[in-house]
Amino acid sequence: MTTHADPTTTDEQVDRAPEHTPRLDWSAHAPDVLKAMLRLDAAARKGLDPKLVELVKVRASQINRCALCVDMHSKDALAAGESVERIIQLSAWEESEHFYTEKELAALALTEAVTVLTDGFVPDAVYERAAAHFEEAELAQLIATITVINAWNRFGVACRLVPGHYTPGQHA
Amino acid sequence: MSRTNLLDREVGPAMSALSAAAKRGLGDPALAELVVIRASQLNHCAFCLDMHLTIAREHGVSERQLDLLSAWEEAGDVYDERERAALALTEAVTVPTGGTSRAFGSGGFVPDAVYERAARHFDAPRLAHLLALIIAINSWNRVMVARRIPPGGYTP
Repeated sequence: MTTHADPTTTDEQVDRAPEHTPRLDWSAHAPDVLKAMLRLDAAARKGLDPKLVELVKVRASQINRCALCVDMHSKDALAAGESVERIIQLSAWEESEHFYTEKELAALALTEAVTVLTDGFVPDAVYERAAAHFEEAELAQLIATITVINAWNRFGVACRLVPGHYTPGQHA
Repeated sequence: MSRTNLLDREVGPAMSALSAAAKRGLGDPALAELVVIRASQLNHCAFCLDMHLTIAREHGVSERQLDLLSAWEEAGDVYDERERAALALTEAVTVPTGGTSRAFGSGGFVPDAVYERAARHFDAPRLAHLLALIIAINSWNRVMVARRIPPGGYTP
């Protein structure tokens, strides 16, 4: 059992598995890198709809299985006014198209292609679908935002950062 | 259709700052290039491979180490234990979804064995910066591949 107030408990106390310990407090050992990451994150999201940013960040975090990032960005999505239903359906968005706009669907397809580069490039059809819905500068920002959440995901996964303690706005 | 070559004027310098901080903290330019090239191979980034093969040669990385990099696990003593630990971590962090290498005994994430092997060769500040370097090149790989930036644009 954890000793702090358990943020994962929604009803009566139940006996859950213990919380794991992170491997490395990377930002304490590399504050210069944290500063650069925060600067990059702010630059990348500039000009994009905050709700779209969170949909992209949740989906990439699901693919990369970054527990801390799923926790953070699901909560940030809710705080930005996103619906619970649209967050829940994200992991099956291709079969839930009527939950999303065509623009969001194009962004989600691009998110998947840019997140999993090892399976082979970014297909023309995926790129062109995004280019049909985003004007050029906005598309460049979308690519940057997908790139940045992939970076945060990798810190989270490599360091086994612990989910469950995030409150929206705490890093603002 | 051709793809955009736009990169926001604040995004590019921020990415450069990330790479610079990572390299400075790792403090091993030759090893940094091996890591960066291996990640770029996994992510199929032609621009990044072209650029970093050039830089690696400038830093004196041997042709043999560059030639055998995509098969480093089978290359015997071409790479020392520290380099091998860094390359295993590079693969695991680049492909957290699991997949293309023996580094992924557990099918994804970053396996304990891979992390612990790296932690034996790099103290915490260097390990944090090595991770940052792997993550920074993954970021460059993404913005270059997504926009299909051709190789050859880099000049030393």
